[in-house]
Order: sequence, then C-alpha cells, then structure tokens
Amino acid sequence: MERFKASLLKEILLLLHDKVGLLLMYLMPMLLVFIITIVQDSAFRLVNENRLDILIVNNDKGPLGDSLVQSMKNAGSFKIDVKKGINEDQLANLTLEGSKLATLFVPSNFTQSLSSNSQRISDAMLSEFGMEAEPRSNAGNKNEVQGGVQLIFDPVLQESFQVTLINNLQTMISGIESKEMIRQLYADMGYDEIPSKILKELNRNPTKIAAKPAMSGESAMIPNSTQHNVPAWSIFAMFFMVISLGSNLVKERLSGSFVRLQTIPGSFLHAMFAKIAVYSFVALTQLMIMFAIGVFVFPLIGLPKLNLPSHVFPFLLISILSAMAAISYAAMVGTYAKTQEQANGFGAISIIIFAAIGGIWVPSFVMPDYMVVISKLSPLHWCLEGFYSLFLKDGSWNQLMGPVIYLISFTVFCQFLALWKLRRQHYI
Amino acid sequence: MTEFKNTSHILKVSGIWKRYPKADTNSLSEVSFDVFRGEKLGIFGPNGAGKTTLISILSGILPQTSGEVNYFIDNQSTNFKKILPKIGFVPQDFALYQELTATQNLRYFGKMHGLKNPELEKKIMHLLTILGLDHVGNRKLDTFSGGMKRRINLAIGLINDPEILFLDEPTVGVDVQSKVAIMTLLNDLNAKGTTMIYTSHHLREAEDFCDRTLLLDNGRIIAEGTLNDLLKQHNAESLEDLLIHLTGKALRD
Repeated sequence: MERFKASLLKEILLLLHDKVGLLLMYLMPMLLVFIITIVQDSAFRLVNENRLDILIVNNDKGPLGDSLVQSMKNAGSFKIDVKKGINEDQLANLTLEGSKLATLFVPSNFTQSLSSNSQRISDAMLSEFGMEAEPRSNAGNKNEVQGGVQLIFDPVLQESFQVTLINNLQTMISGIESKEMIRQLYADMGYDEIPSKILKELNRNPTKIAAKPAMSGESAMIPNSTQHNVPAWSIFAMFFMVISLGSNLVKERLSGSFVRLQTIPGSFLHAMFAKIAVYSFVALTQLMIMFAIGVFVFPLIGLPKLNLPSHVFPFLLISILSAMAAISYAAMVGTYAKTQEQANGFGAISIIIFAAIGGIWVPSFVMPDYMVVISKLSPLHWCLEGFYSLFLKDGSWNQLMGPVIYLISFTVFCQFLALWKLRRQHYI
Repeated sequence: MTEFKNTSHILKVSGIWKRYPKADTNSLSEVSFDVFRGEKLGIFGPNGAGKTTLISILSGILPQTSGEVNYFIDNQSTNFKKILPKIGFVPQDFALYQELTATQNLRYFGKMHGLKNPELEKKIMHLLTILGLDHVGNRKLDTFSGGMKRRINLAIGLINDPEILFLDEPTVGVDVQSKVAIMTLLNDLNAKGTTMIYTSHHLREAEDFCDRTLLLDNGRIIAEGTLNDLLKQHNAESLEDLLIHLTGKALRD
C-alpha cells in the first residue's frame, strides 16, 4: 500500500507539473463545448423551431397576396419581414445583400392568377353538375393567368430547408386556392360570399398530426445542441489525455526510470496502477466539470440546459467505461511510441480522426450510410452512443448493451497490447 | 589499486549468451566469471563490446538467451528474487524525475524499495549531505547541473543500502569535483562491504578504483584478472595501453 501511495503522489506531482497537458485536458474541451454549442445551437433551433428568416416582397394588387403573407405569419415557422414595390430584378441582390435566408416574391397579378384558376375549376365543376354559372363582371377572362410566386434562396441555405420552405409555401397556396375556388363556386351559384358556417368549417384545423420523439420513461428529453455537445466534447476531452498520459509514459521509459523500477521488486505494477488511478480521476473530473457547465452555466448564457439522465448506475457505468477506454488507448499509444513527439502527434491526430468519424463533431445519424458503418470503428462513437442512450432515449439495458460490450472489449484489447509490449521489453 | 583477498562468492556467471531479437550477431558469447563479496570489479571494453548488456543481465533488467547467473548469500546459491532487494543500480541515463525535487525523487524510490519513515527521511538527508546536495534538496532536478543530477542518480541507487551495486558509467559528463565526491563515496561504501560492478570509459579513474578487471570485446571476455597481472602479462603500461593492445586501434560504432 505504501508503494501504491508513493506512486500515486509521484503521479499527482508529475501531472501538476504538466501545465500544457492540464490545459489540453480541462481548458480546451471547456472552450470547445462553449464555442461549438453556441454555433450549433442556432442550427438546432433552426431545425427544431423552424425560424427561417424570410423577406416577402408583396406586389400583389389583389387581396390574396395579403392572405398568403398572413398564412406565413400564422404558421409561426418563419420570421417574416414584408416589403412592397420592389421589382423582380432587384430580388437576387436584395437577398444576397440582406440578412435573409430567402426572399418570396409575390407578383402583382397573384390574386388575378389564383382567381382565374379557381374560376376555371369552378366553372368546370358546375358544368359537370349540369349547372350554369351566374354571369359575372370578369366572366370574359377565361384564359390562364401566369402569376406564380418566386422564391430566391441565399446559396448557403441547405437544400433540406429549401424543400421545407417550398412545401410549406405549396400547402399555403393550395389552401388559399381551395378557399378561393369554393368562393368562386358560391359566387357562380349566386352567393355574394361563402356562408359563415362553411367558412368556419374551412378554417377549422384539419386532421392533426401529433409528432413526438421516439422515447419513453422519465429521462425522455428533447434533443438539442447541449444534449449532443456536452457528452460529445466530454468524451473528446477524456480521449485527449493521450497527450499527457502518452507522453508521460514515453518520458519515463526513455529516461530510464522504468528500467530502475525493474530492479525494485513489484514496483513497476504499482507505478502503472497509480497512473491508471490518477488518470481515471482526471477523466471523471473532466466529465463532472463539463456536465456541471451544461447544467449550471449554459442556461445563464441562453443555451439549453443539460438534462442529466435519471438512471444513476448506468450513467456511472458508461462514464467509467468511457474513462477506462480513454486511459487504455493513451497507455497503448504511450507504450508503442518511440518518442514524445510521436506519442503527441499520433495521439492527437488519431483522436481527431476518431472524433470526426465517431460523430463528435457531426452526429453520426446525419452521415451517409457507409460513414455510419465506419463510425462504429471509433471508440468515441460507442462512448457517445452510450451517453445518447442515457441522455436522449430511455437508457434501457438493451440500448446500453452494444456500447458496454464494445467499450469493455476495446479496453481489454488496448491493455493487452500495452502489457504485451511491456512484457516484450521485460518491464513486467 | 588495492589487492583483494576475499574468495567468498556473491555472483557466479556461467556461459551466458545474449542475442537481441532481429540481431545478426551475439551481444554476449560464452561469458563466464565470478564476483567475490566486497570486491570492485571493473568491466571495460570499446563501444559495443557488451558491457551495458552484461550489467543489465546481472541486475535482472534483461534476460540472457542462455547460460546461468547465480547469486550467493552466505555462500549458498539463492533465488534472484531474494537478492533483488539487496541490489542497487545506477544506470548511465538520468533515471529520475526531473519535474520532482531531489528529496521527492529519493523519497519515491525509497518507498518503492519498501523503506519507511523515519529511517527513510534520515537516509535521504544522509545521502544528500555526503553528496553535497543538502542545500538543494527541495529544488526541482530540471534546475540541476549535469554533475548534480549524476550525484542524485547515484544517491537513488544507494537508497536501499545495497549489498551489490551495479554502476554503469557513474561519472560520465561530470566535473572533477563531482567525480571526486562520487568516487570517494563509492570507496567508502566498498570499505564497508558493498560489492561493486562498474563500467566506465574513464580508464585512469578505473585503474585507481577497481580490484579486478574484466575486458570485453565483441561480446567475449578477452582478459580477466588484477590490473597488475594483466599489465605484466601483456607488457602494457596502463589500462588504456592494454585495451589498445588487445582490441586494436580501429574505430568502433
């Protein structure tokens, strides 16, 4: 026990001396989680709240342009600014120069166009029923009037948002068109306007669509930038200890300290266990600090609060397994690297690649299929899967089984390779 | 140089061979010799002769490919694990933690040897004092000069009061003052009964220090005996002269 305590103290002193390593392990992930969460939060809000910033140039001389603008406002999905009297030639520049993601141009003959279409359909329907339309003031205008709206996108707007906007617009115009057609039908039958009872029915919300995330249990939470980024960057931070632990191992090996420990019975294993203990503490404090930032600091700066899972034991299990996977990987790199530069370079680059393919930067569910397969090679992916199951799903054992098995296997594999190498070098 | 009389074995090396993985040649070939309790045995040879490999095998750092190394306690052959706590090792490298202070280094290695307070603290103070480092005990080693680090490197090897001490170039790169301090301490320890196995390229220093000499070249023993006997036998004037005579003037890698 005295040997273990002495090794523990030595590791703590070495760690406290490693200022760069401490900054990389604690400060860098804290900065990253702030920056990335703030940046991604607007994108998540865009997805979750659909607040697309849109300019509507309404040049319509009739009432239906205003109806379309009102429908867009009522939808609540868009942040709308309305202008009039701007011609088509200015639209592209107006969009590019302004801060809007899209500009909707409603032409001057929009009402005329919709009315003529509705009138043609109404006339055709009455004709099918063997009825004759009432004579009207604009009865002579039976030709189709071209008055379609134009949508000009900022080139940075993702295609998925473009499609969403077009679909929304299509639905609204169809609604206005339907209402206009019914109005025409009543007008053709001699009514001045649609009876209020019918109008009320038309305005009544149609079949409702109930949408909710596929989750159950108390821990069900709405995905947001915080729920993704806090666990993701905590995992990244833990694995980035490869810089500190990896180079610490190389340094001790190259300095000859390991050789000296070989001549002291039993001391080498005590030294290794002490290293694991100290770096486990580092990994768990990294998690605690990052999660505390998500829970207490993020709400203060307007970011979504991190909701911690209610299942304590699985949460601890995934945290500890993630820490052990990170330590084992760092130990393996430190054992095989021939120089500190090699340990730092390979360690950092490998973790960045693991993070990229593992869904730390961009969640793996938005990756193409082949990348989803590749992402399973990354230990960071499985750590993240474990935390996703706890943070975003119900954290059942069925969901956790995959990450648990992978992380245990990865840890055993890395430790086996490290011990094999140390054995070959006669340290143990 | 003193004449050594004790004939009680502490170490008996019988026909050891060593070949590193992927190496084309043997690093040691059929090496056999005895070490007697309380003697100062010097192992010399050109670069690549196999000196460090031999010391590493004797101190349990490397396994030999074949052959036997037997240690003796009270003239009885004993298990290596039993002798291990009685071994001190002073490697050529600074095998210490430069980020820690001199005291922290000595305390760490002392505790790894199983030493307890207050004896350990007394031992640390004693070593720092006799090596002239007591005033810098709380300074980090990365602020030390090469000579001071070399003295701490030796102090760590002595922390467990070893009965047998392996010294791989203990005075390389140090000033004359540090060299004198180190050699004086080693002679004092030897006078108290510590057996020493020593390698060095400082041949003048070795002539004065060693009781017996083992010359290695290309992994083989090419001469063994007291320096006086060897000088007479090969008609040489000094250890350097003898080495040149036996190993030639060609440069070694």
